[in-house]
Amino acid sequence: MNREPRSVAHRLLDEQILDSEGRRCGRVDDIELRGNPPRITALLVGEGLYPRRLPVRLRGLARRLSGPERWGANALRIPWEEVDEIGASVILRGKAEELGLGGGDNPERWLVRRLPWN
Amino acid sequence: MKSILKIALGIIAALGGFLDIGDIVFNTQAGALFRYDLLWAVALGTLGIAVYAEMCGRVAAVTGRPVFDVIRMRLGFGLGLTALVASTVVNLLTVAAELGGLAIILQLLFDAEFSLFVVLAAIGLVIVVALLPFGGIERLFGYCGLLMIVFVATAINQGPDWGAVAHGFVPSLSSSTLYLYFVVGVFAAALMPYEVHFYSSGAVEEHWDESSLTENRLNAIIGYALGGVLACSLIVVSGYLFHPLGVEPGDLGTAALPAQNAYGETGLLLALGGIMFCVGGAAVDSSFSASYNLAQFLGWEWGRYRGPKKAPRFTASWLVFLFLAMLVVLSGINPVEITEYSVVFAVVALPMTYLPVLLIAGDRSFMGTHANGPISRTLGWAYFALIIVLALAAVPLLLATNGGGG
Repeated sequence: MNREPRSVAHRLLDEQILDSEGRRCGRVDDIELRGNPPRITALLVGEGLYPRRLPVRLRGLARRLSGPERWGANALRIPWEEVDEIGASVILRGKAEELGLGGGDNPERWLVRRLPWN
Repeated sequence: MKSILKIALGIIAALGGFLDIGDIVFNTQAGALFRYDLLWAVALGTLGIAVYAEMCGRVAAVTGRPVFDVIRMRLGFGLGLTALVASTVVNLLTVAAELGGLAIILQLLFDAEFSLFVVLAAIGLVIVVALLPFGGIERLFGYCGLLMIVFVATAINQGPDWGAVAHGFVPSLSSSTLYLYFVVGVFAAALMPYEVHFYSSGAVEEHWDESSLTENRLNAIIGYALGGVLACSLIVVSGYLFHPLGVEPGDLGTAALPAQNAYGETGLLLALGGIMFCVGGAAVDSSFSASYNLAQFLGWEWGRYRGPKKAPRFTASWLVFLFLAMLVVLSGINPVEITEYSVVFAVVALPMTYLPVLLIAGDRSFMGTHANGPISRTLGWAYFALIIVLALAAVPLLLATNGGGG
């Protein structure tokens, strides 16, 4: 068996993601492996993925708190081709907005505009 | 020359920011109850925080990873989440304790309703953080916290039996549960994890890299060693004045009285001012720590250097933590009691955040030539063993002594 993608996946899981401008825009919450031998095809990011990272008995409760996985909203698929560089963080080729990442830190959101000293 | 000055200023800020309400409460009580007997526990805790902070600063400088980045990497999501929840609860209690302490000092200085000062203190901290950049916040509280040197001057002025003071540095255990509770408390108060989490995130805020390693080492060794001297002086002045009288200092203001005894009104004002800046700085550090941890664990943008526009969730969570802490204090629980709980639970949660840092700091694949050498490795693991023992003993001792009430 080809063990390499597995060890790369292990190294990447939970890593910080930066966009092309150095903005922190999430962590690698899960990894999509496909094919035989398996290859990494995408990084999966978003709070909708948190329940599946927990022990089985806690998942039900976590899902009730965070809501179900909604792809494109709280669970995003970042195709492997978008990854530019892997160093101390995973660096993407594009900007966070283009990939739908970092929406919670979007300065146009309601709460953000109302923070003091903004 | 410029870099020597910069390093000296860093050390001064580390020294001035060393003490917080936990040290002040536990050390003053420890002096009153056991005279100089617990000085060794302060020394042990101070060396512990120097070891932990040096590792965290080194990891942050070399890999750019602050503590909760390392925790998520090493522990994964599930276990890491446990560490996050535990640390956040402890941090929230700590912010509440520091904020309450700040309000007590303001009340002593200006005499009005306590709850008014709690709200004013929180608003004041928001204003300071909004106006100053990261380095400015650190320096304001760090330099003004140096007023605490009045306690060192008081100790020397009192002229205690130095032989007895020196004897206090010899570790001794007794079967008294109250004594053991204070061993844990004094040690844990010196080694509050939020200080280290703040320190490592601060290293990223100030763009440290491998060229900052000397600064890191000197901050941790000299800055914390001198901070330890301040912490010891609290025990000495209290042991000298309160122990023979059988006074048990139940509130924060009592801690300032030895300075008044030695230097009159001026001494009292210097001591209250020093406590105010230490506690205020610690309120900022601990509330920042809570939001650093959350943001780093979840991958949000974070940092005072990014500004609230670029790191809105970080900024908003900071405001929420401060607000929740304010509610805890306004609920009417005595801040001194909150302090005791925050210190005891901090040592319970400590192993979960200490171990991942120890593992990464020793890992050559992350740290290269800057991985732990023989000294850091030996001290690092020895302290891990010690922390485990204290974490297991902390809650039983808290219950057995009824929260230090005897």
